[in-house]
Amino acid sequence: MLVNLPGPWNPWLGRLALSEIPYTNPILAPLFVVVVVLGLLMVAGITYYGKWGYLWKEWLTTVDHKKLGIMYIILGLVMLFRGFIDGLMMRTQQAMAVGPHASGMMGAVHGYLTPFHFGQIYSAHGMIMILLAATPLLVGIMNIVIPLQIGARDMAYPYLNALGLWITAAAVVLIMASLFVGDFAHNGWFGYAPIFELAYSPGVGVDYWIWTFQLVALGTTLGSINFIATIVKMRAPGMKWSRLPMFTWASLSANIIALTSFPCLQVAIGLVAADRYLGTHFFTAGFGGNLMLYTNLFWLWGHPEVYFVILPAFGMISEIIPTFSEKPLFGYVTMVLATFAIAGVSWLVWLHHFFTMGMGPYVSTEFSVATMLVGIPTGVKVFNWAFTMYRGRLTYTAAMYWALGALFLLLVGGLTGMMLSIPAINYMVHNSVFVVAHFHMMLLCIVYAIFGSVIYWFPKVFGYTLNEAWGKVMFWLFSAGTALVFIPMFMEGFMGMTRRLDWPFDPHWAPYLNIQVLGILVYVLSILAFVVMLYVSIRDRAQHRAAADAWGTSRSLEWLTASPVPFYNFAVVPQVNARDEVAWRREHGLSAQRASHYDAIHMPNNTGIAIIIGGLTFVLGFALTWRIWWLSLISLLAIIVMMIYRSAKGDPGHVIPAEEVERMDREAERTMPRADLPRHSGGVLGGAIAYDSGAAGEGSANLRGAPDYRP
Amino acid sequence: MSHGHGSNPLAHPEVQMANNRSYVTGFIVASLLMAAATVLVSGHLLPPFALLLAITGCAGLAIIAQVYFLLHMDLSEHSIWNTVALIMFIPLFVITIGLTWWMFSQLYLRTMPMIPGMPGMH
Repeated sequence: MLVNLPGPWNPWLGRLALSEIPYTNPILAPLFVVVVVLGLLMVAGITYYGKWGYLWKEWLTTVDHKKLGIMYIILGLVMLFRGFIDGLMMRTQQAMAVGPHASGMMGAVHGYLTPFHFGQIYSAHGMIMILLAATPLLVGIMNIVIPLQIGARDMAYPYLNALGLWITAAAVVLIMASLFVGDFAHNGWFGYAPIFELAYSPGVGVDYWIWTFQLVALGTTLGSINFIATIVKMRAPGMKWSRLPMFTWASLSANIIALTSFPCLQVAIGLVAADRYLGTHFFTAGFGGNLMLYTNLFWLWGHPEVYFVILPAFGMISEIIPTFSEKPLFGYVTMVLATFAIAGVSWLVWLHHFFTMGMGPYVSTEFSVATMLVGIPTGVKVFNWAFTMYRGRLTYTAAMYWALGALFLLLVGGLTGMMLSIPAINYMVHNSVFVVAHFHMMLLCIVYAIFGSVIYWFPKVFGYTLNEAWGKVMFWLFSAGTALVFIPMFMEGFMGMTRRLDWPFDPHWAPYLNIQVLGILVYVLSILAFVVMLYVSIRDRAQHRAAADAWGTSRSLEWLTASPVPFYNFAVVPQVNARDEVAWRREHGLSAQRASHYDAIHMPNNTGIAIIIGGLTFVLGFALTWRIWWLSLISLLAIIVMMIYRSAKGDPGHVIPAEEVERMDREAERTMPRADLPRHSGGVLGGAIAYDSGAAGEGSANLRGAPDYRP
Repeated sequence: MSHGHGSNPLAHPEVQMANNRSYVTGFIVASLLMAAATVLVSGHLLPPFALLLAITGCAGLAIIAQVYFLLHMDLSEHSIWNTVALIMFIPLFVITIGLTWWMFSQLYLRTMPMIPGMPGMH
């Protein structure tokens, strides 16, 4: 052992011992029972209905980008819920513990959570929401949409795609395991030197944090390589760069950021691991270490990561708004330039996370100006969206509600961000909940875009639309929750309340904290509305069967193929003629045109190796966390052996004969509603602009004479 | 799926370009540069700031040797993507390392005892 490990250790179990399981904790012990019971019920249910074979063949071993995307999204939604529960606990703790006379229970002096437990909760909340909720949700949506938008049959590397999912899933399992075995880190989600050093955090919490970070970084990096290769190499004939849909452009820039920045994170966290496992002194105060070097390396990744999650959200908004405005996106070229400008500037601003370090005015000025620069391309985007809607035929669907809500939050988050970019202001509000409220506006902008795109692309994946009314109920509840939680938080920030207080000492904060608890309750209602929306939609799915073009006014290529998308995506690879191909075909009366000739399709085979390697990476992370060296070594060797085995074996794939493709395509055609009829008819707003049917309303006269936006 | 070179990975031009001589040359050049840097540091053969410059120079030369001899980067058709990726990396390198260096030099100016022999540090 290279480091002086506090506490017991034995060669077989490492630091693992029965006492590490918190069965005396009044919150975790009942939760553990609930989780075990639910898990057993699920296993029993799957066994009873005999679904293990189905689960293994259709989902766990799949390399289909749509199924992998769905699993990414389920993973993200589950973790979004877990992160929300963490948020709920922080809000209730602060409301209960406020003021010098607040009573305490369950071992806490104030409120019901001890400082150590509270520290774990905010650390887990931040890490989960950014890396294990937002990132999988975005990667899942990119997974589903990108190949469809560019007319590809699958991702460039289907097996690598599955590997990315299962490594991300391993990270999720690892952080969930920290609930019931040992502790999680209490040093905040981004960590501080030197508190995460072994001397100050002797438990396994920081180790869980390290390996969860490493796994999710690995999974996301693999995914980004795949996305870039897919976009560069797999586009359908005619899909020139100038015709690439905006969501694909946004995803390309986001994945370039991910590919270049995640290695910084892996190095930074790897050096923390070296300090804790090998006894090096990269980030200690003594022996030549440098505490601020960690903060620097972390945010070198951390800020590009922020744009990695916001850019796809911008792309989603750029798809939803034109569809429900019945106009092409305004300023396509400027939108692409703005996207890449944001991606470029994202590398120049990381120091604004630690303006108070003390590096003096010159450095602060550079980073302050660079941070303000971000406002220019973002402003270009906002104006483009506004001009897209200007004189458009707006349809206020649930997806459009979420997209417009995202715009509003972007405005609030962006303007407060402009305030924070000024070092003088930043010194005043550094580490206050004003900053917390600001970045929640930005992250909620992403969440809004995600809910919008889940509603928007749901019919493409599952073949029926989600219930509009419940989607809107959820939107209003969620928005009310957002307002009730974060407006008081901005105000508390101005009152000088710092973040991460397990005991808010000033009784003047009490009313604001109580309003926030009310907001959390409204959020709970919005989650119920989400569940009801899913239930009602699944119940009524037969009535809401979607056509290929589910919204009647869709524009990009994914709406050309059948809904739900067959596993081979396109029966015949389409020839792309315009930037908004589906809109172009609709306007030229080509929507109903079907292929006359089918070719055989070559598809990749399923493989169980991805999920096995994913499982092994979890074992490796768990063994390293608990310092069980033999298990670490065995799982690492097993991973290498599996990789060599897979590489040597290769995948010849399988071929679907042309007749079979034709039969399946005709069948899909037969079961779908007619493609060229808009789903929402009646009224002026959202009326048909189907030129071929001659049923165009009054307002479409303008559009008929609109310039051809074919590049 | 289809790769355009059939299923045989050995047919890829990147693999075909490999030859022992360039690997050995690259290995020897990189090893010599690393050995030189090690000797300079362990023997304290130069004043501190000159030492920093010397090992930075060794590292830069080693990068060039490795990129050329080991990674075979040039402007030929099958290597152009790698070369483009490398060139795209240069601004990132300048930004991240350069700004970090500037930031910490300004920080040290205010918080640290100066490193002897380093100009501009007073």
